[in-house]
Amino acid sequence: MSDLDKQIEQLKRCEPLKESEVKALCLKAMEILVEESNVQRVDAPVTICGDIHGQFYDMKELFKVGGDCPKTNYLFLGDFVDRGFYSVETFLLLLALKVRYPDRITLIRGNHESRQITQVYGFYDECLRKYGSANVWRYCTDIFDYLSLSALIENKIFSVHGGLSPTINTLDQIRTIDRKQEVPHDGAMCDLLWSDPEDIVDGWGLSPRGAGFLFGGSVVTNFNHSNNIDYICRAHQLVMEGYKWMFNEQIVTVWSAPNYCYRCGNVAAILELDENLDKRFRVFDAAPQESRGTPAKKPAPDYFL
Amino acid sequence: MGGQEKSSSNSNSMQRVKVYQLNDDGKWDDHGTGHVTVDYLERSEDLGIFVFDEDNETLLLHRISSEDIYRKQEDSIISWRDPEYATELALSFQETSGCSYIWDHICNVQRNMHFSSLNNNTFHSVNSELRELPPVELSTLPLIHKTVYEGRVTDKMQLIDLILNDQEFLRKLMHLFRLCEDLEHLSDLQMICRIVKGIILLNSPQIFEKIFGDELIMDIIGSLEYDPEVPHVQQHRNFLKEHVVFKEAIPIRDPIVLSKIHQTYRVGYLKDVVLARMLDDTIIANLNSIIHSNNAIVVSLLKDDSTFIQELFERLDNPATPSESKKNLVYFLHDFCSLSKSLQMVQQLRLFRDLVGVGIFKIIADALQSDDNRLILTGTDIIILFMNQDPNLLRSYVVRPDDGDGAKLLGLLVKGMVTDFGDDMHCQFLEILRSLLDSYTLSGGQRDSVIEIFYEKHLGQLIDVIVASCPSVTSHSLRNEMGSGRVKNQQRTKPEILSNICELLCFCVLHHPYRIKCNFLLNNVADKVLLLMQRREKYLVVAAVRFFRTILSRHDEHIISHIVRNNLLKPIVDAFVRNGDRYNLLNSVVLELLEYIRKENLKLLLKYIVDSFWNELVKFEHLPCIQSFKVKYEQCLENGGTRGPINVSDPRKRIDERALEKEEEDYFNEDSDEEDTASASASQSRKVQPQPVLSNGVSASHQSISRRTGGLVDYDDDEDDEDYRPPPRRQKDNPDDEEATMDSIRLKRKLAPKDKEPDISKRPRLNKNPKSKDNSVFAALCSTLSQAVLPSKKTASNMHSSPQAGDADKNAHEQNHEDFAPTRGSSDSSSSDDETHKEKESASPRSCSECVQSTSDNRQLGSEDTPLVQPKSSPEMAVNGS
Repeated sequence: MSDLDKQIEQLKRCEPLKESEVKALCLKAMEILVEESNVQRVDAPVTICGDIHGQFYDMKELFKVGGDCPKTNYLFLGDFVDRGFYSVETFLLLLALKVRYPDRITLIRGNHESRQITQVYGFYDECLRKYGSANVWRYCTDIFDYLSLSALIENKIFSVHGGLSPTINTLDQIRTIDRKQEVPHDGAMCDLLWSDPEDIVDGWGLSPRGAGFLFGGSVVTNFNHSNNIDYICRAHQLVMEGYKWMFNEQIVTVWSAPNYCYRCGNVAAILELDENLDKRFRVFDAAPQESRGTPAKKPAPDYFL
Repeated sequence: MGGQEKSSSNSNSMQRVKVYQLNDDGKWDDHGTGHVTVDYLERSEDLGIFVFDEDNETLLLHRISSEDIYRKQEDSIISWRDPEYATELALSFQETSGCSYIWDHICNVQRNMHFSSLNNNTFHSVNSELRELPPVELSTLPLIHKTVYEGRVTDKMQLIDLILNDQEFLRKLMHLFRLCEDLEHLSDLQMICRIVKGIILLNSPQIFEKIFGDELIMDIIGSLEYDPEVPHVQQHRNFLKEHVVFKEAIPIRDPIVLSKIHQTYRVGYLKDVVLARMLDDTIIANLNSIIHSNNAIVVSLLKDDSTFIQELFERLDNPATPSESKKNLVYFLHDFCSLSKSLQMVQQLRLFRDLVGVGIFKIIADALQSDDNRLILTGTDIIILFMNQDPNLLRSYVVRPDDGDGAKLLGLLVKGMVTDFGDDMHCQFLEILRSLLDSYTLSGGQRDSVIEIFYEKHLGQLIDVIVASCPSVTSHSLRNEMGSGRVKNQQRTKPEILSNICELLCFCVLHHPYRIKCNFLLNNVADKVLLLMQRREKYLVVAAVRFFRTILSRHDEHIISHIVRNNLLKPIVDAFVRNGDRYNLLNSVVLELLEYIRKENLKLLLKYIVDSFWNELVKFEHLPCIQSFKVKYEQCLENGGTRGPINVSDPRKRIDERALEKEEEDYFNEDSDEEDTASASASQSRKVQPQPVLSNGVSASHQSISRRTGGLVDYDDDEDDEDYRPPPRRQKDNPDDEEATMDSIRLKRKLAPKDKEPDISKRPRLNKNPKSKDNSVFAALCSTLSQAVLPSKKTASNMHSSPQAGDADKNAHEQNHEDFAPTRGSSDSSSSDDETHKEKESASPRSCSECVQSTSDNRQLGSEDTPLVQPKSSPEMAVNGS
């Protein structure tokens, strides 16, 4: 069994890697990710997953429902970290799978894959607590910069974490983004990661999130038409039923963090596409309490102050 | 309304609020300050929110609605659209704990409304009025359990009062726990565990104070080991007693300090381990504030104990101290500095100054030279804490003339940057150097001297590392088979190090445009960095292109003509062509570069690229970006005819505001270099040009560039890079540069009148305190340095108003009041639970952008030719700004 396979096994038990292993893993991942496109091509069959947010045991449920990684081809739409207790283990497991099976799992960037956001919503603190220094956070956030921005499944389904951008009319315009940077505060890259579809908006509206835009049905219709795609698949917003169609089935939100923040009471979903792009949503619940270990948040066992 | 007085007297400041009402103009009117309570409305079963002012006048009376109209913002504001007032109302809390307390009440009331409408009877059957606590006995445990869990909201408040008033209740409960544990009564132990959890969930700071006291805390933790929801009995006390080591690097004698230190660790353990799963944000906030204030107490007591600090540094200084205990002292020092973030800003700064005074940088320099990577890491972490607090502390140390220690430390930092520490270090040195060299900070002298030393002594080192590790230089020796020293070097330098160097260089390009320009043109730095194009690691290739792109964002025609003259784009185009049709990051980065050239209309480059490389690029004509590039080129030919590209004669002359130290440079630099201000000495006459006032700082520099249409330049004659040579190294063989020199002299003359009015613009600048709020907010937000992000529930807006992590002092709350109105935009837009989450997130980028804005304003005042881009952003931000 290779080191990498051992690390994957270890991560599957929710045991974090050593700092040096994280560093090596990230370097390998960097070499793989640098070869990916801003609009990464993905073949069907594929299973699309939305936000995970560090809910490691719930992600294990996801793999139970959807199948194990090399057997099932996965596309994750970002927001791997923050809020849950196990952002480190969650992201590292996904990253290790990416390095081990680069063609069987695609990871794209969410708005939480950012230095600024992770300093506020938990990933930074978690790294500090689990490793005693911010190095692991640094490695991971450096890798975030290399993550692809979107995916295109069989030329028919456009997948992105947030949504559309007023500066992007064609998929080709995404090509000329140097994505290796912290998520900016505005512009195309920011919008792709931050925007939301909104019923009441006609055209474009200001987003209450303070970044990205709200976009209405007509925007989606135009985009799908001019890029010749069937529909858009995105994540980014909690939906209690796990998935939600909008605008006459032109865009779907997939949410994969059940009982979000361990208290929202929602179910989660993944979207399975077969080789003919026929859809099947698989809805699942949070992992039962027993299957969870105690939170791996143990502080360092010695202290000066 | 009897309960109201009781509860308001309970927690005075906690319930202090300002009442705001939205007026017709969309602004928030302040309706006064008072105390908020939740109580029954007169002659009614319904609960309402009351706010009474000092004179017990009712400022606000609001019947709590079962509708989802309430919004909580930024942990300190509750707002809603009031059906009776027919407008938006808002309460802005002095303390976040007060806010969460009332918020919980509202939620509970709403929950009970829904519940009672579903099931009216059962709800009221439970004790409707709680008068006293049941006696604490084994037989009454179920009753206590019921009391803790089944009461209504008002009962909960009552319950808190009763527990607090009954001195014996908690003590008896814990006594009972020990008894049950002796008897091994599992079911009773589980019941007690549930009761204790229930009491914790009451989230009362006063109760926390009691149960976390030395007397009770271990029993409390013990009782929580018997959680019926966890399959096995936990061993928390065992862990705390047997495994946890309190390391006393130096004896602490004050019993209060010791007790606080232990309490902090235990409360942290409760929060992160024992109770992690059951706590909500509001309880976590309260626990964090306990930890936070404990830290502040510990650090203040220790720092005010002069013998303690003295002893600490004596031991560190003493050669006789064994190295192992020295290490521990450094680790202690790190924790000490790190905890001081809980102090108020001013106090922390004073502490750090004192630590500098007693020689902390010397200690760090020693640590950096150790063989122990963890010690080095700790050293860098301490420096980063100092940089976050005030970079000038280290800057003044580096430039101080009295001994060589400062310069030595800078040398160590640069050396650290290019040293391979194995797996222990990442980009700490990069971060430190970045903040040392950051030209956005307002203060002048030291910063400029540091920059000067860096360029004089160290930049070359970094470039050499790149050169030594790139194949094209060593290809000769490679061909000669076995490696020379260089080849070994190439293998040794880790790609991460090269990538860090590249990042630092990009930073320098943005921060020190002039200095780097001299350097680049003189030493062919750009050419050397582009050697990285030969590297096997794709991410280094991409980094080199990005560096190149960053230079272009300077819009400097001297550099551009240098590029053209030396055919610098060739390796980039070659790499692009070699990469073929692969749509990867390299492909995107190069296309972005071309797109930038096209959009910015850099005609010289347009022409150069198409003329030189079209044969190869034509293969990519199917890409819209390449097509439009060609179209632009053709337009350019049509418009410009054969006249050649338009020259941006001097994009930065408006910035020409600082004097140069060496007179010669006045002549040989056609524009003064803002970093060339070792001339900070006040006596020297300065050229200060009034700063163009721009409302939007971001667009300042580039707007003026793009609008500019200047004369023509024949770039073949433009051999003027020697102009940038500092006099001593100036070469004599530059016959071609006369014209340019003339140009620059002409330019000086043109500017001359402006030189006479320096003071007008200078004074306001100096008045700007370098440590102004905005500035530190910027540091807090935009740096990726290890900034402790508050007691974890810190929201972005908190960051906005109180940059100092965890600086939950009164001022911050005052500011919250101020900050309130501008955020109302989001108060009426959300409508579901998930929106609440969204909203929290939303605050973050917004305040970030606010902070970028505010700092760019600062920069306007400060150093005029900085690129008005936040440090973390990519070159692209510069484009956006233009």
